[in-house]
Amino acid sequence: MSRRGFALAETELRSFDRSVVARCHVQRPDRYRLIEALPADVQRITRGGGVSYVGASFASDSVVQDLGAFDRLLEFDAQRGLITVEAGARIGDVVRFALAHGWLLPVAPGHPRATIGGCIAADVHGKNPARDGTFRRHVEAIELFDPVSGWIAASAEENAGRFAACFAGFGIPGLIGSATLRLAPAAHAYSLRSIVVADLAEAREVLLAHAGAPLLYGWHDGRPGHFGRGVIRFGLEAKSEQHTPRRPLPDLPSAVEPWPITAWNRLGITMMNGWIRQRWCRSDSRHVAIESALFPLNDARRYFAGFGKPGFVEAQWLVPHARFVEFAATLAAEVARQRPRISLIASKLFDGEADGFRFDGKGISLAIQMPQPQAPAQAAFIESLTELAILHGGRPNLIKDSSLRADSARRAITRFDEARAALRQFDPHELQRSEMTRRLQL
Amino acid sequence: MTAVVIGASSGLGRALSVELARTGHAVLLVASDARDLAALAADLQLRHGVQVGTLALDLAVAADPGARVMEALAGLPTIRALLLPVGMSRSDDDGSLGPAAIGQLLAINLHAPIAVAHALLPALLESRAAIVGFGSIAGARGRSRNIVYAAAKRGLETFFESLRHRHLPTALRVQFYRLGFLRSNLTFGMKLPLPAAEPEVVARKVIAGLRKGSFDRYQPRWWGMIALIVRCLPWFAFRRMKD
Repeated sequence: MSRRGFALAETELRSFDRSVVARCHVQRPDRYRLIEALPADVQRITRGGGVSYVGASFASDSVVQDLGAFDRLLEFDAQRGLITVEAGARIGDVVRFALAHGWLLPVAPGHPRATIGGCIAADVHGKNPARDGTFRRHVEAIELFDPVSGWIAASAEENAGRFAACFAGFGIPGLIGSATLRLAPAAHAYSLRSIVVADLAEAREVLLAHAGAPLLYGWHDGRPGHFGRGVIRFGLEAKSEQHTPRRPLPDLPSAVEPWPITAWNRLGITMMNGWIRQRWCRSDSRHVAIESALFPLNDARRYFAGFGKPGFVEAQWLVPHARFVEFAATLAAEVARQRPRISLIASKLFDGEADGFRFDGKGISLAIQMPQPQAPAQAAFIESLTELAILHGGRPNLIKDSSLRADSARRAITRFDEARAALRQFDPHELQRSEMTRRLQL
Repeated sequence: MTAVVIGASSGLGRALSVELARTGHAVLLVASDARDLAALAADLQLRHGVQVGTLALDLAVAADPGARVMEALAGLPTIRALLLPVGMSRSDDDGSLGPAAIGQLLAINLHAPIAVAHALLPALLESRAAIVGFGSIAGARGRSRNIVYAAAKRGLETFFESLRHRHLPTALRVQFYRLGFLRSNLTFGMKLPLPAAEPEVVARKVIAGLRKGSFDRYQPRWWGMIALIVRCLPWFAFRRMKD
């Protein structure tokens, strides 16, 4: 391929969970004309922070367009709470800017280096999707680049079909260049409380009872014999400015250097669960800075390093309310039978509509993280979990689970082909391809 | 006070613009593409609250770039610094370029910086300002690659030496940096024989040095030793160098 007009580097890229790796040709444009310089028939995929768990931003046979230089703030309306940013702007930076001006972006994923373009492409959820919905609820307009048509403005009023397709579109509808986001007035801090739960059924009850809290999520022990016990944390807006005990931590890097050994063996997981119980399972309330509450992964560098070089897998399933208790009980029995190593389970409440490939619906989501996903016992449990979840009407989060196969996704997502066609109508030559879209046959 | 950055939209120019805004300077950003300038200007205004002017100007074809820059300075505070991190290189600059391509390289790397410097010189002298030029390690010795680019950078170096000779540091601070490899779009994807510096790190040093008088130095400083070794190499050894 000719390098005139743009430079390509050949480099190895890896997903955050370390499970997907590919040698890629990367373009790092720093001017708009360099985005446009890539010939229109070249297979490509856009890359933001590179923190997805599934290789959503690279592929060995695509040119990776890294938008790291397109991280600028373009407009800010301090009266109406509207901010326009380039797609490579990191969510942590946008949140910090908004907070400094009294505004909050209500939905933010846990990793502060995720970019705005990535948050749109994955339609991420935040700390209480039942209250705040997913990212798309807070996006007013998008400007995107189509290799054939050029720059396109899209919103609910203009190019509405393509606008809708961008959310959980995984980059297929085009390169997202910039977006206008709707902000909400920010609180001074959150008052965080914890409620101890004995199992996942009780967790569901507690989540439903606190559905209106701006922060709402659970942590659960995944060990056999202790499965499901944990704590639901909910945060309410502090009425007045309060002292928050800790300064915000530095942002988690895009890639965490793994420890030479896997720390999350049975002993390590037992010790970690004990530490989390000690730290979190207290009934008193404490004030937490909003930035710290939004980006809990900043506190998890050692946790991710502890997975070692084999990395980890996170399977996240959203199970409808009517089937959840049965699903949780069956899953507990399966854990007791197979005794997998589960490092963490997180629960969240959802109250949206399932649509396309979006991770939304009405029910409870469980995110289950496991070390050494390639180990036979671990892989067998992941397979069982997938079957159980599908059996109970579960919906997978495609942007999280690098182990999900195309046939499983097709069974789990109703009208899969229809959703795929709805995306590919904007990319008829299938130029936008990543390792994730290839694995799932999107 | 205003700082003018020629070649502001990418690489070191962008890093310098950010650093100037971060340290409270009003800036006039000059680059070829209005879209890049608009985005950078908006970002600097929003993040740092400084006054920002922009001028979209193709230095390869502009007949009188200095006059355009002077016009664009209207309405901005007094100019106190002119920074010229502008540059362009081509992978086919190996002795095979046609006259148009040669003209383009000379216009961007040599003619435009000199023309802008000349046009702004009275204003710079009046405000006892700083003028900052950027050469390249490529100009240390002529090689079979980057032939026109290196010649232009060597010419620019001579121009800055003349300025320094002409003006006392109390009247005009003339600063010239010979840059080693920088991590920018120019070097992206290249296998470099020595480490590349981050533009942000270089920019911090350049802006911190604006008040320090006239000088001519390498940045990063250790490139001075590399350049000395390269210059001292006997011809038979130098001829064998590929990188």
